[in-house]
Formats: sequence, structure tokens, C-alpha cells
Amino acid sequence: MGGLDYVGKRILRKDGPLKVTGQATYTVDIRPSGLLTGRILRSPHPHARILNIDISRALQLAGVRAVITAKDAPGIKHGFVETPRYPADQWPLAANRVRYVGEEIAAVAAVDSHVAAEALSLIRVDYEPLPAVFEPEEAMGTDAPEIHPRHPKITDPFSNIAGKTDSGWGDVAEGFARSHYVREDRFQSHLRTHGYLEPQVTVADFESSGKLNVWTSSQGPFIKRAKLARTLGLAQSAVRIHQAYVGGAFGGKIDLFSHEFCAALLSLKSGRPVKIEASRDEIFSAYRHGQPLIVELKTGVKKNGALLAQQIRVINNCGAYRGSGAVIIFLSWGFVMLPYRLPNLKYEGFAVYTNNSVRAPQRGHGAPQIRFAVDSQLDMIAAELGMDPIAIRLKNARQSGESLPNGDNVHNCGLSQCIQKAADHTGFQQKYGRKRSTAGPTDPVRRGIGIGVSSYFSGSLIYPNSSSVVVKMNDDGSATLLTGALDIGQGAETILCQIVAEELKIPMDEIEVIAADTETTPVDIGSWISGNAYVTGNAARVAATEVRKKLLELAAEELEANPDDLVVANKSVYVAGSPDRRLSYGQLIAAGIRKRRGDPLIGEGHWRTMKDVPFHPSLATTKGRWSENYAFDAQVAEVEVDTETGVVRLLRAVTAHDCGFPINPLLVEGQIDGQVSMALGHAFMEEVRMEAGRTLNPSFLEYRMPTIHQVAVSEHIDVITESYQKDRPYRTKEVGEGYVSAILAAIANAIYDAVGVRLFETPFTPEKILKGLGKI
Amino acid sequence: MVEYTGKRLIQLNINGEQFSLAVEPQETLLEVLRNQLGLTGTKDGCGTGECGACTVLMDGKPQLACLLLAIDCQQVKITTIEGLSTGRQLTSVQEAFLEEGAVQCGFCTPGMVLATSALLTENSRPSEKEIKKALEGHLCRCTGYNKIISAVQQASAKMTRNVT
Repeated sequence: MGGLDYVGKRILRKDGPLKVTGQATYTVDIRPSGLLTGRILRSPHPHARILNIDISRALQLAGVRAVITAKDAPGIKHGFVETPRYPADQWPLAANRVRYVGEEIAAVAAVDSHVAAEALSLIRVDYEPLPAVFEPEEAMGTDAPEIHPRHPKITDPFSNIAGKTDSGWGDVAEGFARSHYVREDRFQSHLRTHGYLEPQVTVADFESSGKLNVWTSSQGPFIKRAKLARTLGLAQSAVRIHQAYVGGAFGGKIDLFSHEFCAALLSLKSGRPVKIEASRDEIFSAYRHGQPLIVELKTGVKKNGALLAQQIRVINNCGAYRGSGAVIIFLSWGFVMLPYRLPNLKYEGFAVYTNNSVRAPQRGHGAPQIRFAVDSQLDMIAAELGMDPIAIRLKNARQSGESLPNGDNVHNCGLSQCIQKAADHTGFQQKYGRKRSTAGPTDPVRRGIGIGVSSYFSGSLIYPNSSSVVVKMNDDGSATLLTGALDIGQGAETILCQIVAEELKIPMDEIEVIAADTETTPVDIGSWISGNAYVTGNAARVAATEVRKKLLELAAEELEANPDDLVVANKSVYVAGSPDRRLSYGQLIAAGIRKRRGDPLIGEGHWRTMKDVPFHPSLATTKGRWSENYAFDAQVAEVEVDTETGVVRLLRAVTAHDCGFPINPLLVEGQIDGQVSMALGHAFMEEVRMEAGRTLNPSFLEYRMPTIHQVAVSEHIDVITESYQKDRPYRTKEVGEGYVSAILAAIANAIYDAVGVRLFETPFTPEKILKGLGKI
Repeated sequence: MVEYTGKRLIQLNINGEQFSLAVEPQETLLEVLRNQLGLTGTKDGCGTGECGACTVLMDGKPQLACLLLAIDCQQVKITTIEGLSTGRQLTSVQEAFLEEGAVQCGFCTPGMVLATSALLTENSRPSEKEIKKALEGHLCRCTGYNKIISAVQQASAKMTRNVT
């Protein structure tokens, strides 16, 4: 790996100076002249028929410029998933029926927010309330209220199944029969939300030429353009999504949102730019949250701890529309398949419609929930077998080069090293099972240690399933990088620049990034499904390599040398061994212009996560390949449990991670720390509390996310399984989602180690601990 | 509905500049900064004083601009993130936030940077506990806070070194 100047280095964020000085422009900061304020009228009912909507009084209010209802919309549904089995199921504005509290019914555009609010209060909606259902297992009952009567049925006789994944291999019955020990448990996770700091917001500006300009806080401009254009009945070319920085997303800003559709339609109707900004109350009450899973898990093992069979039933409460419900039950299967060798599996996942707000991916998208179940149970199994948690994991961990049951390959897998290194670093085996206390046997505070593992994919075949990058040289030898990638905080602009800087040996500050604009940048996979560094990164590498090749060809002509003898360094090309025979990039570009009549030096690069498109994975059956690139990790948690109060503190989180080649270790650490913090919130504090479809705690004050007082020491151990080699694809891997997952089981296992209380449900509250201790 | 009582002319001292502005009595300082003056570095994360993203300095002390009425801010000197550094020259605090990797999405960053600047002006060698106390009202969803604490410590070390 010698000779690397930019890649693999702790290079500071490209967008950092803009962000620390307040100059970075987010969507909330965009204010075109003539801007109107848009507001949305929402359903107060969890389930009701809409009998009539009267907007006449709102339209008469001075200062109101437009009012829209479903009648003004082209009548096109949308969905997170849109396939023949899972057709779109959601209107951007409710037509005849509302299915959750907060569902969008009408929207207004007015001269300011006060007039807009008054206009909303003047809209009269007549409802006929319908019976509602909120819990998925109730909604699965044959007598449950049917939420989508006309929607194609996924399974009979259940009427509210929004998605079903059936998968498996081997013979589980035979596997259980051969097992030395079989264990069955039920685990449950709870409802959390993303907590992005920048609210959901969209500015839409319809030009008289027919172009709709949109700024929106999102995770990828191309998916937004596709869905927005379609629901508005416009050609994609009529919609332009512009770049703006994004103040956090974590899965909560992917899909089409009604405020985006409404802002656009209000602008089309009023001929003025319209901004809709969701209030924090609206975000907590009516926007998308993460997805709790019920996991029923039966596992059989050999005497030596080797997994023989697993039977899993997962139930997801996906809310009133499918959202990503059908995806999370597919992904949960994948997160079971990945880290441990599993010869026999029967997997069944259900996404169930209920009268709750729609659900979205939230960092990990099923991995935290399913890994909590699997790795908690594995500790119980280890204890029964008299094994320690490290040994049983090493026994089952996947190794490099293994084929996965669906045909994917784990090209390079550092899971065993992750487990071993995390254990060694923390002295795991010396501490585990010691019933440790800080001040002797009468001390009410006990310490425990636990481990979990997880694995994550790095991009998959979901639209737009590839990325392209253009690198353009400028006259002075600097470069411009055009990418559709969107920096949502993870550092996309920085790492793409590092790659181009490395391939072309151009300093970082001489590479200008033009990003995330559907009109001027090439298509990109988007800052979701965890493929950015790998997919867009390789596209950037290919584009830069093409430019380098062109520079070398020019240099070979100009210097009368063999291209193979040329070396690139310091924005110049020179003949190896003859540093005097050198031409700067500026000189070469000038020569190119002279000789080739102005042809600019442009390189283009394209990449997709897999080439075998016909084997696109099926959400229903899991057949087909999923991704070709998997990251692995093991996480150890050390906790302190107060047996008098039931309060648990995460003292230390150690993440041993195989994310392939880290393009920027500083950014990798930032991703890990953020994930540990989000997992800490998941484990102990965060919970969206709902009653009959209403959110009871719709503010940051009541929905408690970790503050600076709740930090845990977060340590990182690199296991690098891929080296960077010039001119060759490199498998840098996912780093933004997977590490939120293993730590949850690690904490649960550490609590058990400390006080012998086994928790089957998140969050790990003092009440549950005290109950487990028999104190309440 | 909010009742209109008519705009009033007020004087605000912002980043060393004096502004005469017509504002409605119910308008917050945050609204005036962002909507009238275009000082969008002050962020609006919740509007109810819970996230800290709208922090500005008033006579050097951190305050939440979403909880202040603009008409009540006439007798003080207000510093927003735009007034912290001039041109391309970053302050030690801003540099430390970059160098320690304490910035990700950046939405909480202006508030964090201002609160840190105020802390270090008052107490150039804060303990970890004092750092946490000073930043407890600021939510950050990206970094997990550890790198923010390191950034404050680095800035403190730099500033102390510069003084001695």
C-alpha cells in the first residue's frame, strides 16, 4: 500500500469549512424571492372514510394562493417498493379514506405561515370513523379491520399482510432432530425514530418554462426525481432536484414524502415558489419512524456449539402503508444469513398493515433487531453447552471465500479476527462470568461484559442501482468531480475527492465537487443501502483512471516516450528516472487543446454492485443475489448495572470492524461513534410512545435521544481485509449502518453477565432490570 | 390564530453591525436572523428550545434564538456563527472541530461552535465535566459526541498554548 497520498489518510472533510462557518446551505436555508409558505392538513383519525372536503372558505381567505386536495392530483399512487407483487399503495394526498393519524388530506400555500395556518383551520372535512387496529398480531387476525380492502392479497386468509418473505435451505426438521440442544425464544424491539436535526423540508419552484425546480432534504436526488415526476404526471426531464446539504437522515428521508409532492403541486398551481417545512411535532406524529420487529427464534446446535438449524418467524408492524415493511423482512433474513454458517434455515417474515404512521428504514434496517435476537440467544445456548461467548462465535463465524446460500460470495471476511481482537482488547474471557463488582460483594453496582456480531451489505440492486462519475480536467490542471452522490454527513464528497486525488495526484483543494443535482451530475445510487463508498467510490476511481490514461497518452506524444515509462506525481507527468522530462497537467491540457482542437479531458466511470442483473434478489423468496460486498464486525459492551435502581450504564463500547480498505479512517471512526450512540439510545432511552395511533411524546424533550451526558467510551479496532491496489477495484465496504447492530446484543449479554437478568425486549429500562431481579 | 398587532421598528446589534428592522412583536430572534437578515447559519432544528441548533451569543453568553423575541434583544450584542470568524480565517474552535472530526451533517455545528467559544472565553481549561455541562443543551445525532468533546479539548489546548 506504499505511495498512497490521499486514500487511506485522515483527511479533513471537504465540506467542513462551510459547515463550521455556517455557510453550508441546507434546504431549510433556501428562500427564493416570492416564496410562499405551504402547510398540510392532516387526519385526526387513525381510520376513517372521507365523506366530503370543503375548501371554499380557505380559498377565500386573503393571502391564500392555492389549496389542493386529492382532486387536484393526477391520481397516481406511490410506494417505497413498486413491483408487480407489491404495487404502490399510497396516494400523495388521501383520496377517500385515511388510514393513520396525520395522513395528508389537503395543503395550502399562503403568503406566510400565519395565513397558511388559518387557511387550514377553514378547511372542513367530514369523516366516517372506521374501526382501527394498531398491533400487528391483532391485525393478522381474520376478524381484524381490513385496512386496504381493494389491494391485492399477499396471503389468505389474513387481510392485512403487506409483505411476506419465505426463505430457507437445507432441512430444518432434520437439523433439529440431529441437534444436541434446541432452544426457542421470542424477542421484541420497540418503536424508535431517526432524530435527524434538520427537519423534513422542501422548496419547489415551478418556472414558467415548465421546469419544476426542487430542493429537498433527502438521501438521493435521483430516486426523488423519479417518484416526484411520476406522481405529478411529469416527465423526469421536467423536474430538477438541486443540491443542498442535508442535516442528517439515517434512513428517514429516502422515499417520496407528501410534503414534497404538495410543495411541487402548490407551486405548479400558484406559479410561485413554495416551501413546506415540517414542524418537529409533525415529524414525531405523522412522519416515518423505524420498525420494531417481533422475532420468534428456534435454534438447534451440535454439542460443540456449531449451529445446525434455525427457524425464524419475524413480524413487522409496517403501519398504514407498506413503506419499507416488505424490505425489512427481506433484509432481516439477510442479516441472519451473513455472519454465522447456518446449514439449515426456515425463515418466514410478515409485514403487517396497521393504522399507524408509515415506517421507514432506520440505520441498520432490521439488523439491530434481528442481531439482538440471534446473538442474545447464542449466549444462552453457549451457557447451556458450557462454552464461552467467544468460542461459540468463533466456531460459527464465516470465513473469507465462503459462498452464501443465495449464491453470493464472502470474498473477504474478517469476522473471526474481529471477534478475537475485540475479545483480546477487552480481556473478555478474564472478565466474563465473574459477577464483578467495583467495591466488593455488597456493592449494589455490578459490572458485566458482552459481545455481539453483525454483518452488513454494501449496496444492492435497487433503483438507481448504479453510480456514474465524471471527472473533468481544467486548464490550470485542477479537476472537477461531478457526482450524483449526496453528502448527508457521512463524507461522500470527501472520500470521492480522495479517490480522484489519489488516482490523479491532484491536491484535495484543487478538486471541485459538483454533487447531487439531477440536471448536471450523473446518476447515483444514493446515500442509502450503504453502497456509496463502494459503488460511487469505484465509479470515481474508474473516471479518474480514464483521465489519467488520457493524460499519459498526451504526455507520451509530447515527451516522445513510451506510456509505460511515465509516472504521475504532483500534477505532472514525467519519464521514470528522468525527472527533467516532465510536463505539468496545465501544459498537457494546453497541448491537448492545441492538438485536438479543444477536446477537454474528461473521464467517466460507472459501477454497480453486481453485474448479474438477471439474478436480482426477490423480496418474497430471497432467491437471487443480493450484494457482492459484505462488511463484518464484532462489538463488545461493558456495562454497569445498579441493582438498587435498575439503571444500566454503557461504560465502554469496543468495535472491531472489517470495513475493507478504509478510505478515510477519521470518517470511519465518526460513523462508528455515531452508530454506538444511536444504539445506546435504542438500548436505554429512545421510544416513540403511541396510543391508538397517536404519538404521546412528539418532541425532543419527551423523546429522549442521547445527549453529551450519555456518551460511552467508543473504541475502534481495524481489521483490514482488503488492500488498495492501483488500477484495480477495491472492496472498501459499508461503514455507516452495520455497527449500530451488534452492540445491542452485546449490551443485553453484558447485563446478563452483570446481574443474571436476561432481557428479551428493548429498551433495557430500570423497570425491566428490577423485575428481572425480582425487586418489583 | 396569532393576532397581528402591527410591526414595530427595533434596533439590533448583530455581529458588530447595527440594524434597524421592522418586526412583528411575536417574531423570534431566530426568525428575524434567518428570514429578514439571511443569516441562515443559525439553524432551526425544533423551534422549542430543545436541540440547541439555534444558539447565538448575547453579550458573549449562549442563548437559544428560537426562545427569544426579537424585540427583547435590542440592548445586547448578538453574535451569530457568521460573526465568529472573518473571511477564510477560522477560529481555533472551528479548526479543532474540523481536525477532530467533530462535524458530520453539520446542522448542530454552528450552535456547538458558538457554545464552545463562549465556554472557552470564560474558562480556557474546562474539565470534561464542564465541557459536558456547557454543551448539554445541544443535540448531535451524527457524531456520538466523543469527537466533539475532543474538539473542545483540542481548542482549549491550542488557545492556552497561544496565550502562554
